[in-house]
This record gives sequence, structure tokens and C-alpha cells, in this order.
Amino acid sequence: MSAAAAAPAAPTTRRGKRAQVRIQRFGAFLTAMIMPNLPAFLAWGLITTFFIAVGFTPNGILGGFGNADVMGWQGAATQLQLADDGTTFRQYLGLVGPMVTYLLPLLIANAGGRIVYGARGGVVASIATMGVVVGSTVPMFIGAMLVGPLAAWVMKKIDGIWAGKIRPGFEMLVDMFSAGIAGAAMSVGAFFGIAPIVTNVSQWLGNVVDWMAENSLLPLMSVIVEPAKVLFLNNAIGNGVLVPLGAQQVTENGQSLLFLVEANPGPGLGILLAYTLLGVGAARSTAPGAIIIQFLGGIHEVYFPFVLMKPALIVAAIVGGATGVATNAVFGSGLRGPAAPGSIFAVLAATPSGSYIGVILSVVLSAAVSFLIAAVILRASRNRDLAAGESGDLGAAIAQTEANKGKTSSSLSALADAQGLSTGERPAGGQLHTIVFACDGGMGSSAMGASILRDKLRKAGLTDVTVEFKAVAQLQDGADLVISQRELTDRARHQAPSSRHVSVDNFLSSPVYDEVVALAKSADATAGSAP
Amino acid sequence: MTDVLTRDLVVVPGTARTKDAAIREAGALLVDVGAVTPAYVDAMAERERLVSTYMGSQLAIPHGTDEAKSQILRSALCVIRYDEPIEWGPGQPVRVVVGIAGIGEEHLSILSRIALIFADPAQVDRVLEVPGAAELYGLIEQVNAA
Repeated sequence: MSAAAAAPAAPTTRRGKRAQVRIQRFGAFLTAMIMPNLPAFLAWGLITTFFIAVGFTPNGILGGFGNADVMGWQGAATQLQLADDGTTFRQYLGLVGPMVTYLLPLLIANAGGRIVYGARGGVVASIATMGVVVGSTVPMFIGAMLVGPLAAWVMKKIDGIWAGKIRPGFEMLVDMFSAGIAGAAMSVGAFFGIAPIVTNVSQWLGNVVDWMAENSLLPLMSVIVEPAKVLFLNNAIGNGVLVPLGAQQVTENGQSLLFLVEANPGPGLGILLAYTLLGVGAARSTAPGAIIIQFLGGIHEVYFPFVLMKPALIVAAIVGGATGVATNAVFGSGLRGPAAPGSIFAVLAATPSGSYIGVILSVVLSAAVSFLIAAVILRASRNRDLAAGESGDLGAAIAQTEANKGKTSSSLSALADAQGLSTGERPAGGQLHTIVFACDGGMGSSAMGASILRDKLRKAGLTDVTVEFKAVAQLQDGADLVISQRELTDRARHQAPSSRHVSVDNFLSSPVYDEVVALAKSADATAGSAP
Repeated sequence: MTDVLTRDLVVVPGTARTKDAAIREAGALLVDVGAVTPAYVDAMAERERLVSTYMGSQLAIPHGTDEAKSQILRSALCVIRYDEPIEWGPGQPVRVVVGIAGIGEEHLSILSRIALIFADPAQVDRVLEVPGAAELYGLIEQVNAA
């Protein structure tokens, strides 16, 4: 900030803080959408590592490449496939393709929809996402992350139109048909409206990479390839662009480094190593297993969620990838053919004898560079992640609870810190509109706490804050603040990962209430003074 | 006031000496007026083992679990005041026990009155000082619900 701009510095800072808070909330949202589905990614990765044609234990039935007319196992789903001689045969569908095409995007859509609008949102999100999945041949991860939450949000708005206006007794009927009709409509809309866009984006990315390869901007290709990979366009880019171009170079030079741009397992290894050492909670404990599947098994997809939940890490992937490409360019090394899957074994198997040094160095250096950058990024946000429990995990939540213990009155300021606001400052944005009390049964303690807080807010003249109470099991994500008994805060945090959480010991005379009122007051003042 | 908390559901003084007995005493009152089945009383005791219903300000509000809601025949509350504090947990003396059987929202207005009384130390003193059940019932009745 220059001296001339000193006067408007204060509002700018506030805007900066607000943007920071927004980015953090967005990050928490991505995490909540991906994290619960990590086991599905791992399961898919394991099945793929073992059973595809180039896997450890190839299996035509599970891997989806076997001929059902020849093999003995009957009754499994098959599809007609064109053989080399022009005839058709029944090929097993297998687990690998359907899982990555349908299961994973739908799980992500469901998690995203659930965050926005509960179980109902999750259902509508999955219905709508089916439209983008089937409307394209590209894996629809970005489609699911967009369409899922959007569809749930639309459903929420639609429900809002007639909320409370339906004749008693007809609510269930209306709920059922409104979600069914809206889901069907959004599914069709996504099929024709969104799927072609994602398909085009993927083609366009391919064209850009093509152009870069022709113009010798090789290391820059990682700027496109790495983000495209993480959005599960790796096969589209790898097989669609790089492999054909590489094959052309092989006929001229006997080898090509283009085969290693996408297939280099180094960048993913670096990021997963960084998570293993510096990650938080569930992400940290999942990372070592993911390394085996990614680096040895060559299924790169298992590291994508780790980047999706912390998008800044894409920088680590890009620079690491570029390092690998540059190393191969310097050493004049490359592969004889595509390394698929991108396992270290497949890479070494495709390396011509003169290229071992360059290829191995490109993997090692890209892993080292990715690791260093990822480590810096994870290190920088580690304390915040721990405090915010953004990993959605128990350990972090307990650490937070422990931090609050014994100084209940400071719990809110700790919270404010977790949101990127220092205690002395006014909260950015009027972000305290919905408060939910959560208890075990939803009939006693939480109701009492809610009445006391409502009374205090009313006496303070704050009318635009809603205070609800719910059983923890019924808690939905989305409230600005969730107040629960100490013993239940972990469960509450699990149910509502994007909300702020506070624990109380004493529902009747907790200092937390007065702090909430003060926070709501200042939020109200900030919102009121904003243009 | 509705029939969620009737005069016969306010008892001064209670006879229980322990936390378990107090929960049984409150549960028995609710069973006697036909608000809950005896199975609900077991659920109250079970819920207490999961998470204490000690609220602070010498108040505890035993109630059943979410799953036990099917054992509630109608919403009802009972209020029992004890002459000697009952040890609800370490350093948690309880003089007033409010047993809750709540389905729907009928019991909430009374519950919020009780909450407001116990959030105010001066009011708590009055609750502990009034001589008998009739006066205690009157005191709860007077409070304006939030």
C-alpha cells in the first residue's frame, strides 16, 4: 500500500480480511465436499491398481477388458465392443470405469448438496449431476462440484417459495413431487447446458497443450496439464493429446518426453509426502496409503482430492511438473512409449537405456520441488486448519476443544481468530444471522439455551438473528454458529463442518452468551454501516 | 398456563437423596399423570449416563433420548425442589430437578420460562426460598415467556 492510498487503507484492509474469510469458507466447503469421499477414491484406486490390464493382477472381469463370450463368468454387466477384426464381442463393464464415471462424481455431488441443503439437497444434487455425467464422455468431477451444490441451492430456493403456505397434510406430497420434478428438470438442463461446456473446456485445454508442444514451450505445459489432471481430465489430456504427439516424435527420435508430462508420478508423490508429514487429521493419515497407490500403482487420481481440498497446492503440482519436463529437456531424455498407468515401474519399463539418468532425475526432482512448495503451503495454513478443524476430523476438533477448556470465556475469540479476524477487530461482514443450539435429544437443554440467548438478543435490540435448537443428529450444515455441550461439540462439528462451533459447560449462565450478543451487535453494526 | 405443567406436577420437597433416585422420582411423577410409559424413565436414566443434564444454577433437567420419544404419550413437565442439594456430578449441586417429556412444541414455552428464571441469579434465589409447591408453581406461572 503506497502512502497516497493511506486514507482508504482501513476499508481496504477490511475488504481484504473479508475476502480472506470468504476464501477460507470456500476452502472449508471444498474440503467438506471431498473429504468424506476419500475412502471411495482409495477403494477405486486399489481396484484399478490391481485389476486393469496393466495392473498388478490383471482381471478382465473386474478391470473391464475381458471378453464375456470367452471367459466363464456369466451374468455380469457387459457392453458390445468392436474387436480388431471388425466383429463385435461382449466385453465386461468391470468396476473401474463405472466407479470413476458414476460413483465418485455422484458421491461428491451428494456431499456438496448435503452441505447446502441437507439430505434433500444431496438427493437433488445427485439427480442433477447424473445429467452432466451422462451428457459427456469426460469424467465429470468439475461438473459434480459445480452442479451438485447449485442444484441443492436451487431446491432450497424453490422450497422457500411455498414454505409454510402448504395446507397441512399435503407437505409430504408437495415435497416429494417438487424435488422429483426439479431434479428431473435440472438433470436435463445439466445434460444439455453444462456437460457440453465441460467437454469443450477439456477439448480447448487439449488444443492449448498441442500448441505449446509445437512452439517448444514445454515446461509451461505443466501450467495447463497439472490443473487439468486434478480435474480428472488427465486421460483426456494424456491419451487425447500427449500420447499421439509423443508417438509421432518416437517415429522420428525413438523417444519423447511428452509421455512423461502427464504420467510423471513425481509431483503427486511430493504433495502426498507433504501431507504425510505436515497434513492435518484424516488427510494426513490417508496420505501414506495414497502414496502406494499413486507412486507404485500409478493411479494418480488418488492425490487429486488432496489438491482439490486445498487448491493452493496446484502451484506445487505445476512447478513440480514443470521441473520434471525441464529436466528431461535438459538431459534430452524421454520414454519409448506411453507409461500407463503412471506408475514408477511403468515409467522405468518404458525408459530407453540412454535415458535412465534423465528420467529418474525428472521424477526425483519434480517430487522434491512439489514437496517443498506443498510443505510451505501446508505449514502456513496448518495452525488455522487445526484450529478450524477444517479437516473435518476428530483429532483437530479435540485439539480445539482442549484449547477452549478452562477458559470458556475466550472460546469465542479463539473462534474469531479461526475465522481470520483478530479479537480487537469488528467481524467482517454481518455473518451472524443463524445460531443453532444442539443437544442430544433436541427437547431440553438446547431449547433452554436457545430461549436464554433469544431473550438476551431481544433485550439487545437484535432482531435479525435467528436462534434455533436441534438434536445433534438432526443438525444441518450452514448455520453461522453452532453452540453445543462440550461432550457433543465433536459430533456437532462433524454434522456441520462449515459452521463455527462453541462449547458451553453451563447452559444457563455461560459467558458465551454475552460474547455472542456482543459479536452479533458488532456484526450488525458493520453490516448496517456498509454501503 | 397449559396442562403441560400442572400444580400436581410441582413437588416441594422431593424425597430423593441421590441423582439416580431423583431421576426416578421425576420419572414416576410423569408416569403417574399418564404422560409417559415406564420405559421412558429408563431412557431418562440412560440419557443421563450419556450426557449429564446438569444445567448450572443448581438445576438439572433429566429427559429421555431422541429414540425414546415414542414412549411419550403427551408432553409434560414436572418440577421437584429438594431441601438438601443432590450431588449431580463433581461440584454440581442440584436443588431443582425439572423432568421433561416433550414431543412437538407444547412444552417449549414453559421450558423457556424456566430457562429465563434460572438464568437470573435473583430469580433463582426466589425459587429456592419460596415456602411451598403452590408458591413455586405461581412463580413459574408469572414469568413472561420469551
